[in-house]
Amino acid sequence: MSRLRLLQRDEAPLPARSIYGADGSASPLKRSLANAPDLLETLLPFLGQIYDEGAVDLATKELVVVRVSQLNACRYCLAAHRPLALEFGVDEQQLAAVCDEIPLDSLADRERTIIEWSDRYVLDPGAITDELVARVLDYLRDDQMVELAILIGATQMLNHFCTAFDVPPTA
Amino acid sequence: MSTQTTLETAVEEGRCGDRLWLYATYHCNLACGYCLTESMPAIANRRTLSAETMIRVVREAQELGFGAIGITGGELFMLPGAAETLAEIASILPTVALTNATLFTDRLLARLEPLAELDIALQISLDSDEPDRNDAFRGPENFAKVERAIPALLERGITVRIATTVEDQTEDELARLCVLHRSWGISDDDHIVRGVVRRGRAELAGMGVTPGVTDILPELTITADGAFLHPFGPTVRHGVTDLDLLVSRQVAPLERAAERFLRLVSDQPVGTDVARNIR
Ligand code: SF4
Repeated sequence: MSRLRLLQRDEAPLPARSIYGADGSASPLKRSLANAPDLLETLLPFLGQIYDEGAVDLATKELVVVRVSQLNACRYCLAAHRPLALEFGVDEQQLAAVCDEIPLDSLADRERTIIEWSDRYVLDPGAITDELVARVLDYLRDDQMVELAILIGATQMLNHFCTAFDVPPTA
Repeated sequence: MSTQTTLETAVEEGRCGDRLWLYATYHCNLACGYCLTESMPAIANRRTLSAETMIRVVREAQELGFGAIGITGGELFMLPGAAETLAEIASILPTVALTNATLFTDRLLARLEPLAELDIALQISLDSDEPDRNDAFRGPENFAKVERAIPALLERGITVRIATTVEDQTEDELARLCVLHRSWGISDDDHIVRGVVRRGRAELAGMGVTPGVTDILPELTITADGAFLHPFGPTVRHGVTDLDLLVSRQVAPLERAAERFLRLVSDQPVGTDVARNIR
């Protein structure tokens, strides 16, 4: 049971109504965020840019989002992003690996390196070494690392939000 | 364009009023059946604005070009320093303060005397000339208290307006009410009559009419929960504030809320102001 009101479109503050579809639908996350409409002015464009394709392709982004959500045990984000990851080109085996259903070793070098770096970024950023960054830079430019770092931060924020407020995957 | 200019234009075009409303508190000594805010003595969340907050907002409102202040609730005079706060607010902008007029002891009346020198009116709720009928809407002995308070305020030179909320009063009854307020020296211009708005407790009780989008003139309304489109916006049902007419959570600085309000009213059709005075 959500600890925040999941506002229907006609209950939502006027400035937040645009986040609902023409049929009045919106995800439970958006419906909870509608309680704080001022923040949506910047938060949604920010999230839109971070989660959309940028310098990093969507498959890599979704792989990282699912992994971070798995580390944070976020029921909401896992339910939302597992199907998206498949849609954007992550394969079943990669998904199983980042969800700890099979060993991470099964990932190809590129994905395994990126996930190793993102795991440290989430769990112990002080333990990231120059050597690890150098290995990541074999696959990503520095601006792409920045983009993934901000994506990880945003995902952590949403993981904590959805878990703390018990936002249900479906409502 | 500055917020001040945008407000001026919106007021000229009839898109909004230049009065800024404050919900001083949701606490009340009464518990009227049609109350929009579920106000009552035992209300769990009083949503009180401090005197400092109200005075700051009013100063900022004046700088932004608002022309008048309305203060509502709840019952303003549940707040200990209400008389002094009112005097300070009315020294900044013309003010109308809504009250049920049931808490006016001699001591409070004495503290209200400075209001006689200021541009302020106390708008007092009275629903019938018949004590029993009025008290059925507004609680026991309400009529007697109001009947005592009004002449006492007028004697002290304080401007009084009467507000009547119409539910099932007859034409005759309303006409007799007019005779009564005229007998106190209160003109018809200072008698506001409006229907019950179907929100808050009135909605739960199935009373009143649901206002359409253009039925109520937008007037920026500040509460402890944020800024709303008009004073009928921040209503309460089952202890929870309705957010459908919320404009901004942020009210400091007031300019941020005013900007969001003006953005919204510029998108709204120009409507007729049918119910400008809450309660
Ligand atoms: S209508 Fe006014 S007097 Fe009656 S309970 Fe509500 S705030 Fe109090």
